[in-house]
Amino acid sequence: MADMASMDPEGMDGVRMTWNVWPRTKVEASKCVIPLAASISPIRRHPDILNLDYAPLHCRCSAVLNAFASVDYRARIWKCPFCLHTNTFPTHYHSITQDNLPGELYPQCTTVEYAVPSSVPGVGVQFDPRTGAPVGPPLPPPVFVFVLDTCMIEEELGYAKSALKQAIGLLPENALVGFVSFGTQAHVHELGFSEMSKVFVFKGNKEVTKDQILDQLGLGSSSRRAPTSGFPRGAQNGFQSSGVNRFLLPASECEYTLDSLLDELQTDQWPVQPGHRPQRCTGVALSVAAGLLGACLPGTGARIVALVGGPCTEGPGTIVSKDLSDPVRSHKDLDKDAAPYYKKAVKFYDSIAKQLVAQGHVLDLFASALDQVGVAEMKVAVESTGGLVVLSESFGHSVFKDSFKRVFEDGEQSLGLCFNGTLEINCSKDIKIQGVIGPCSSLEKKGPNVADTVIGEGNTSAWKLCGLDKSTCLTVFFDLSSTGSNAPGPANQLYLQFVTRYQNPEGKNLLRVTTVTRQWVDTAVSTEELVQGFDQETAAVVMARLTSLKMETEEGFDATRWLDRTLIRLCSKFGEYRKDDPTSFTLNPYFSLFPQFMFNLRRSQFVQVFNNSPDETAYFRMLLNRENISNATVMIQPSLTSYTFGSPPQPALLDVASIAADRILLLDAYFSVVVFHGMTIAQWRNMGYHHQADHEGFAQLLQVPQEDSQMLVKERFPVPRLVVCDQHGSQARFLLAKLNPSATYNNANEMSAGSDIIFTDDVSLQVFFEHLSKLAVQS
Amino acid sequence: LDHRSFPRPLDGDVEPNSFAEMYPMNCHSRYLRLTTSAIPNSQSLASRWHLPLGAVVCPLAETPEGEEVPLIDFGSTGIIRCRRCRTYVNPYVTFTDSGRKWRCNICSMLNDVPGEYFSHLDANGRRMDMDQRPELTKGSVEIIAPTEYMVRPPMPPIYFFLIDVSISATKSGMLEVVAQTIKSCLDNLPGYPRTQIGFITYDSTLHFYNMKSSLSQPQMMVVTDLDDIFLPLPDDLLVNLSESRTVVEAFLDSLPMMFQDNVNVESAFGPALRAAFMVMNQLGGKLLIFQNSLPSLGAGRLKLRGDDPRVYGTDKEYALRVAEDPFYKQMAADCTKFQIGINVYAFSDKYTDIASLGTLAKYTGGQVYYYPGFQSSVHGDKLRHELARDLTRETAWEAVMRIRCGKGIRFSSYHGNFMLRSTDLIALPAVDCDKAYAMQLSLEETLLTTQTVYFQVALLYTASCGERRIRVHTSIAPVVADLGEMYRQADTGSIVSLYARLAIEKSLSAKLDDARNAIQQKIVKALKEYRNLHAVQHRLGSRLIYPETLKFLPLYGMAIIKSIPLRGGPADASLDERCAAGFTMMALPVKKLLKLLYPNLFRVDEWLLKPSADHDDLNNVLKRLPLAAESLDSRGLYIYDDGFRLVLWFGRMLSPDIAKNLLGDDFAAELSRVTFQEQGNGMSKKLMSLVKKLRENDPSYHPMCFLVRQGEQPREGFLLLRN
Ligand SMILES: [Zn+2]
Ligand SMILES: [Zn+2]
Repeated sequence: MADMASMDPEGMDGVRMTWNVWPRTKVEASKCVIPLAASISPIRRHPDILNLDYAPLHCRCSAVLNAFASVDYRARIWKCPFCLHTNTFPTHYHSITQDNLPGELYPQCTTVEYAVPSSVPGVGVQFDPRTGAPVGPPLPPPVFVFVLDTCMIEEELGYAKSALKQAIGLLPENALVGFVSFGTQAHVHELGFSEMSKVFVFKGNKEVTKDQILDQLGLGSSSRRAPTSGFPRGAQNGFQSSGVNRFLLPASECEYTLDSLLDELQTDQWPVQPGHRPQRCTGVALSVAAGLLGACLPGTGARIVALVGGPCTEGPGTIVSKDLSDPVRSHKDLDKDAAPYYKKAVKFYDSIAKQLVAQGHVLDLFASALDQVGVAEMKVAVESTGGLVVLSESFGHSVFKDSFKRVFEDGEQSLGLCFNGTLEINCSKDIKIQGVIGPCSSLEKKGPNVADTVIGEGNTSAWKLCGLDKSTCLTVFFDLSSTGSNAPGPANQLYLQFVTRYQNPEGKNLLRVTTVTRQWVDTAVSTEELVQGFDQETAAVVMARLTSLKMETEEGFDATRWLDRTLIRLCSKFGEYRKDDPTSFTLNPYFSLFPQFMFNLRRSQFVQVFNNSPDETAYFRMLLNRENISNATVMIQPSLTSYTFGSPPQPALLDVASIAADRILLLDAYFSVVVFHGMTIAQWRNMGYHHQADHEGFAQLLQVPQEDSQMLVKERFPVPRLVVCDQHGSQARFLLAKLNPSATYNNANEMSAGSDIIFTDDVSLQVFFEHLSKLAVQS
Repeated sequence: LDHRSFPRPLDGDVEPNSFAEMYPMNCHSRYLRLTTSAIPNSQSLASRWHLPLGAVVCPLAETPEGEEVPLIDFGSTGIIRCRRCRTYVNPYVTFTDSGRKWRCNICSMLNDVPGEYFSHLDANGRRMDMDQRPELTKGSVEIIAPTEYMVRPPMPPIYFFLIDVSISATKSGMLEVVAQTIKSCLDNLPGYPRTQIGFITYDSTLHFYNMKSSLSQPQMMVVTDLDDIFLPLPDDLLVNLSESRTVVEAFLDSLPMMFQDNVNVESAFGPALRAAFMVMNQLGGKLLIFQNSLPSLGAGRLKLRGDDPRVYGTDKEYALRVAEDPFYKQMAADCTKFQIGINVYAFSDKYTDIASLGTLAKYTGGQVYYYPGFQSSVHGDKLRHELARDLTRETAWEAVMRIRCGKGIRFSSYHGNFMLRSTDLIALPAVDCDKAYAMQLSLEETLLTTQTVYFQVALLYTASCGERRIRVHTSIAPVVADLGEMYRQADTGSIVSLYARLAIEKSLSAKLDDARNAIQQKIVKALKEYRNLHAVQHRLGSRLIYPETLKFLPLYGMAIIKSIPLRGGPADASLDERCAAGFTMMALPVKKLLKLLYPNLFRVDEWLLKPSADHDDLNNVLKRLPLAAESLDSRGLYIYDDGFRLVLWFGRMLSPDIAKNLLGDDFAAELSRVTFQEQGNGMSKKLMSLVKKLRENDPSYHPMCFLVRQGEQPREGFLLLRN
C-alpha cells in the first residue's frame, strides 16, 4: 500500500486521510491530537473510473448503492453499509448475478460516475428523429462574463485585452459570452446590438440591487414588455428571459464584435486627481456582472472572469481611499483594526458571494498589479463559489498570461472547468461531520451526521460547488459521536461516501460516487495500528489549512504557539522516550517527517503573514485550500533538487548547506520555481563554455534543470513564477528565503568556502528539533 | 355696415418712415419700432393715450443686401462709452471743447475723448473724421468687444440634440427626417471649424453617444437610473464637429435604423433634459429637443391634463396654459444661466402638454415648433426646411440685451421669450434674426423737459466666428405735449405686436374671455379718446373715426382676438395648438405677426393662364385682396398665405382644365386626400415656382400647402379664417 501511495497517493478515490484507521471513541479521537480529516478530490480524473450511463440506486438513507453493499442475488436485495437497511432491487436490476454485476458493485470500483440525463421540468422525453432513441434536451452552453478593469496604463490594458481576445478565440463555439468593463463606472456591453457599440452604464459609487440591475438592463420582470406569446418561459436557450440574449452571445457570433470592441476600448476616461488613485468601481462591476448572470436559469454553468488591475476605490467594495498617501491596509493594520474599509468591503463581497452561490455561478479573479487589489476582501466570493484566482504583478507577466490561457485551452493541460457541483457526504453511524475547508459553501442540509462543533463550512452534510475542476480539493473534518454506542461493536469497518453531482465542460450532468471504508480500532488497547495509519503529508496539510482558518477567524490566535503545542502533544503521545530525558527521544518512522513539516509550516507564508501583504496571504491560502495534498505539501515545505556533474538529479536538503559553487539547485516552492546556479556554474556559463563542443556535459547540466522547471511550470495552475538566478545575484533571495538557516551570521565562522549564509534570526531545524525533544519528554 | 368701406391693410405692414426722414441717423425700423414716435411729455398725457407706450426690438433683423451693419474695431482705444450711464458713442453725442470732450445724449454727462479717438472739430462743431466714423453717423453699428467684455473665452457654436426615439418617433418617420436633415446641414452649421455637436436619445432610458474622433464608430452608452442621472463620460459627448465628422455622420446614418424596431412607449424626457444640461453646462449652446409624446418617466413627468371643457370659463382655465410642474421653469432658468438656449420640436398627435414643454423655449430665448400628428410623408418637408433654417441661420451666442433711454422715462416691462437677468438685462443664450422682443415704457417724472429722448439697444454676444461683439442700435424721438401728435406718430404694427403679446400673457393668468375683453376695451378706449379729441375740435358727432395711422388697428385687434392662442373656446383650438401658437407669436417680428393676423389673399388662375411665366410680374400677381367672402370668385383659384400655411382655394366653378393641370388625375377627388405635387405641365410648374417664391420670400417658417375646394366643410372654415 505504501508503494502504491507513493506513485499515486490519491488513488482512484482521490481521498487521503490524516488517520487511515479510526479510534472508536470521541475521547480516543481527541487523544490523537491531529484531527480526523479527509482531503478529497471530488472529480479527480482517473483512468480506472467506470462510467455508467444509468441512474444510481439510492438507499432510503440517501446513500448510493456501492461496492461495499452486501447483495443477496437470489432474494434480489442489498444491504446498505451505512444504515444497514435492506433494499429490494428494482426490476431492471433483476438480471444481475454474481457473474453479471453492474459496475457499481465491482469490488474494485469504489468510485464510479453516472451520467444523469438532464431533466428540464415541463419538457417531456424527446426522440431522435433518425434513430428513434430518446434524447435529452440540448446541453446548456457554458456562460462566461468577462469583467475588465480599464483603470490601467495603456500598456497593461493592452496585455489584458490581448489575453481576452485569445481567450475568446479558445472558447467553445456555443459558449455564451458577456462583457463588462469598468473604471469610474461599470459598463455592460450589449454584444447583440448590431448598429454600433452599445453599453449600459452603472454609476460606480452607488450600490445596486439585483432587481435594479435587471430592470436597468431591461431584463427585469417589470421591464419585460414583450407580448406573451406561446413560448414557455425558460424554454428558449435555457434562459428565464430572452432579453439576456442581447448581452450573452455565442462565442462564434460575438468574437468579431468583441475583437473590435476591445480594439477601441480605452482606459478609463475620467480624470484622476494628482496624488490620487483612479476611481475604480470593482464592487459595482461585480454586482452588475452577477446581476446579469442572475438572468440566466439557476443551474446554467456560468462564471464571471474578472481581470482587475488595482484596488477598488469607488462605491461598494472599496478597500482603500483615493488618496495615494493612504497606503492599502497591511496585516499590521488588520491586526490593529486600523483598516477602515476592510470589514465593510468583506461584508459587501460576502453578499456577492451569497448571490453567486444562490445562482450557482462562479467568480474567477485575475489580479495583476504592483500594489494590492483587494484579493483579501474578495477572497470570500472567489472561494465560496469555487473560482480560480491568479495573482501577478502585471498582465504582461507569464504568471498571468500563461495561467489565463490555460483556463480556456482544450486538450491535455485543460483545467476541465466544471459547473454547478453539489457534494453530499454519507457516513456510518456515530461519525459526525464538522465541516469543510475549501472552495465550497454550505447547502445547510441538517441530519444525524452533522456535528455540533463547526470547522469551516459546517452545520450541513451537503455543499454547493459552483465551480470545480479535476484538481479541486476539499478538507472534511470528522468527529465521533459522544452519545452513541462507543463500545467496540461488531462492525469493524466504517464507511464514507462522497456523492458529487456536477456539470462537465460540455454541459453534461454527471454524478460521481466515491465510497471508502476504513477500519475501526480500539486505540485504548494499542496504538500500533493507529500509528501505521498516520498520513504525515495529509496531516501536515490539514494542520496548515486549519491553522490558516483559525488565524482568519479566531481573534488573537497565536498560530506558532498553537502549532508548537500540538506538535509537542503529538510527540509526547506517539514518541518513544524516557520521561525527562530528551536524548532518549525517538519518533516512529510514520511520524518522522512531521516535525520538519511543522518547522517549515511555522516559517511559511501561511503563518508568517507579516512578510506578505494581506492580498498575497489570501491568495496563498486559497490555493493551499484547493490543491491536492502533494501540491499543498510543496507549498508548506518546498522541494529542492540538486544537479551536478556525474550524478543524476538528487533531492537535496532544504538547507542552506545544499548550496555549492558547482551545483545547480531547482527549488519548487509551488508559487515560484527557482533555478539557482552555483558561482562556478554561473561563471562558466557566462564564459560560454556550454556552446563549446568539448563541454557537452556542461551544456547538458545547464539544460536538465531548465527542462525540469519547465515541466513544473507547464502542469501547474496558476503558473508559478519562474526565477532563474545565480548565487549572490539579487534574485537569489527567492531561494534563500526558503532554506533552513543552518548557517546564519551567528555561526558564519564555521562555514566552509563556497557555501552561503542566510541573514536571519530564525531558528534552524536542528535547534527546533532539540527544543521539541526537550518539551515532548517533559512529565 | 359696408364691408368695402372697412379699411383693410392690403399693403401689409407699413413701416413708419416719417421720422426716418427727419432723423436719418436713427437705426432702421426693422431693428426698433416705437408704438408711437412722439413721446408724451407728461404722465397725464401718456395716460390719455390709452394705447401701449413701448417698443418692439428685433436686434438681429435680416438686412437687405448692401445695408449690412458696419463692423467697428476700436482696437487699443477701447470702446467709447459714457462714464456714467454706459451709453455707447452714437450719432447723437456732441463734441465740445475743441473735440476734447463729448456729451452723452442720454444722460448729458460730459466725457473726455480719449487721445487716440481725438479729432478736431470743423466750424459747425462736427468732427473732421466724421466720414470715417460709422458709429457717429449710423444708427446701427456692431463693435468688436475686447476681453473686458468676456467673462470667459468666447464659446464655439454648439448644437446639442435631444431626440425622442420611442415608438411614435420612429413610426412617424420623425427620427429619419431629423437624422437626415442634421446630416445635410453639417457643412452649413455656423462657426466651422469650432462648431461642436452632441446627441442624446431617449425612451424609457437615456442613450449617450461617445463621438471621440479616434473612434471608427460612435459608442452608445445607456443610462437607466432615471432618479440619479449621471454622465457616462467626462468628455466626448460633445465633440468638435470637424474633428469627429465621420463618427457624427456614422451616427446619423445609423440613428433611424437603430431604433426602427423600438417598441418602447415611454418618455424619460425630464431626466434626458437633465442629462443634456449636464453635458452642456460647461459651455452652453443650443439645445434642440425633438419630443414625440407626453413625458412619462422621471422628473418632469407630465399628466394628461387634456382639454377638459368644464375648466373653460372657470378661474382655473388659465392653469392649463401654463407649466404645471415647476421642473420646467427651473430647468429653463438653469439653462439660461449656463447659456443654453432651447428649441422645442413637438410632433405628437396626442396631448403633449406644450404648455409645459414650451416653457423651456420661452425662458431660454428659444422657440417652439409644433407638428401635430407628424407624418414624414406629409410634414417631412416642413420639418426639413424649418430644422435646416434653425441650424444654419446666423446665430448670436451667449448674448445679453439692454435697452437704454433718456432721463425721465424707463422701460418697465418686457414681453417675449427670454429671461430677465436683472431689472433691465435680457438674457439670450442664443438669438437670431427671427426673434423680436417687446417692451413697455413708463414715464418717471411728471414732466419731461427735454425736446427729445433717445433709445439705445445694445446686444452683447459672441458671433459664430468666435468674436465677441456688441450690436448697438440708437434712435431719437421727439417729446410732445399734444395727444394728437402722438396719434399721428403711432405705429400700428408695433402696437399690435405689443398688444398681441400682452393678450397672450394675460391668457396665462386669466380666462380667454378676459384676455379678449381687455384688448377690445383698450382699443375702444383709445378710439373714444381720439374721437373725443376730434369731436371737441370738429364736432363730428358719434361717427367712428380713426387716426390715419391707426386705421387698421380695430381690424388687427379683431384678428388678435381670433388668433389661435385667444380664439373661442375648447372646440376652436386644441390646447396644445393654442399654447404652441402662443409661444410662436410671443417671438414674432412685427411684419411676420401682421401677416399671420391678416394673411395675404390673391387670385392666381388668370395669371396661370397667361402664356408668359415671367417671374418678375409676381408683384402684379400678388395683388392682395380683402379677406372677405366677396373677394372669392367661384371661378377662381386663390392662394391664402399667412406665413405658416399656404391654402389653395379652388372655386367650385374653376375650369376643370386648370384643376386637372394642377392636380393631375385626382382633380375631382376630395382635396384633403390629394397630394399637392408638381405635374408634368407648364401650368403646374408655374404654380409650383410661385409657391416656391412665396416660401423664399419668408424663409423663417416653411408654410405647408393645403388644398381646399369651395364648400368643403368643415375644412374650408378651418383653413380660412372668418374675417
Ligand atoms: Zn442506507
Ligand atoms: Zn450717459
